[in-house]
Parts: sequence; C-alpha cells; structure tokens
Amino acid sequence: MEKQMSRTSRRLAVVINYGAILLFLVCFYLSDSVGWNVPIAASVVTAILVALITFFSLHVRTKLWKLVHSKIDKLDERELQVTHEALRYAYGIFTVVSLLVLLAIALSTPQWDSLLILIFASLLYLAHTLPSSVIAWRKKDH
Amino acid sequence: MKGRKLYNRIAVLREERGLSRKELAGKIGVNFQTVGYLEREEYNPSLDLAFRIGEVFGLPIEMIFSTAPMKPLSVELMERRIERGE
Repeated sequence: MEKQMSRTSRRLAVVINYGAILLFLVCFYLSDSVGWNVPIAASVVTAILVALITFFSLHVRTKLWKLVHSKIDKLDERELQVTHEALRYAYGIFTVVSLLVLLAIALSTPQWDSLLILIFASLLYLAHTLPSSVIAWRKKDH
Repeated sequence: MKGRKLYNRIAVLREERGLSRKELAGKIGVNFQTVGYLEREEYNPSLDLAFRIGEVFGLPIEMIFSTAPMKPLSVELMERRIERGE
C-alpha cells in the first residue's frame, strides 16, 4: 500500500537510514581492532533493524523505489523529470563519496601507493568528463 | 534555466466536464498524480502535453494556460465581449 510521508519525515528517514548503515560499518571496523563483544554485536543488530525499517518505510511503502527503478517508457514526463533530476544529484553525490573513500584508502596506506593515486586521478577525470562524453557520443549531426 | 511559473484552469475545466483526475490522466496519457501536480501549478507541462490537454477540453492552450494568474473564464469572456463592443 502506498503511504504518503511529509518531507520532514522523509528527510529524517534518509538521515536515519544512512546513519544506521554508517553505524554498521563502524561496528565492523571496531570489531577488527577490539574484537566482537556484546555492545558491538547489539549495535550491529540494531543498525540492521533500523536500516531495514527505514528502508521499507522510506523506499518501499512510498513507492519511491519503484519510481526510480521503472522503465523509462512506463513513466510520464513529470516522473521522468523527477527521476532524471534525482539521478543527476545521486550521480554527483555518489562520485564525490566514492572518490573520498578511495582517497582515504590511498592516504591511509603507510607509503603512497602510486597505483591507487593513479586510479583516483583517472576516476576524478572520468567523473568530470563522462557527462559531456555521453553528449558527444549521442548528439546528432545537423 | 528555471522556467516561469505557469497558471492554468485545468481543475475548473475538469470539474466542469465531470471528469475525475484518473479519467483526465487516462485521456492525456499521464499518471493521475501528475494531474494533481498540474492542477496545483506545481509542474509546468511540456508543449506536447499542453496541446493534449487543450485537445481534451476542446480549447486553445492560451485559454487554459497563462504566465499571469488567471481570471475566471466567465470574467475573461465578458471582458472580451466588452472589448469587442458587443
């Protein structure tokens, strides 16, 4: 059943959902250094439950998941506009996060790993040039 | 570039013709929620969609859409009659 949520509730759910995923990752990182114990295990279980609950209420019940995963020919022009705009933001955010993670990995290695630095530079170049490359590839001649 | 806000008479015209949002949506080929967005003037339709809406109501698009807030259709028709001296 489709359920409407206010913008404030949706934003809160987004923050809590990603916060839960982050907590999950931190717990695994901590377990590597201090080992598994009851508080860490409880935090992991809590994080998974919170992530699942917020995922279901934010993405599934509101049908937003279905909207962004529908085939293009199933959407009308407003829905296409909404999903294209969302994809544009998502692409930008995903690129920045991915590059920051890669940079953090590269910087955390005891010695500068030249291959990682090269991969980082190449991905940075790809991220900035990919949109115009797609246009260059697809644009018709006049 | 952000487009200008467009005002429209879709809600009044739909009510006048006794159409539900779902029925109108079916006729113009959009999701019924999009009709709600159009009626609340939260979404500017493409030229193609505007023409389809005009065809459904049997009116030119300038009678349905405007860049300025729209007067009731009856007031506009009366003003046009006065302008023509009828």
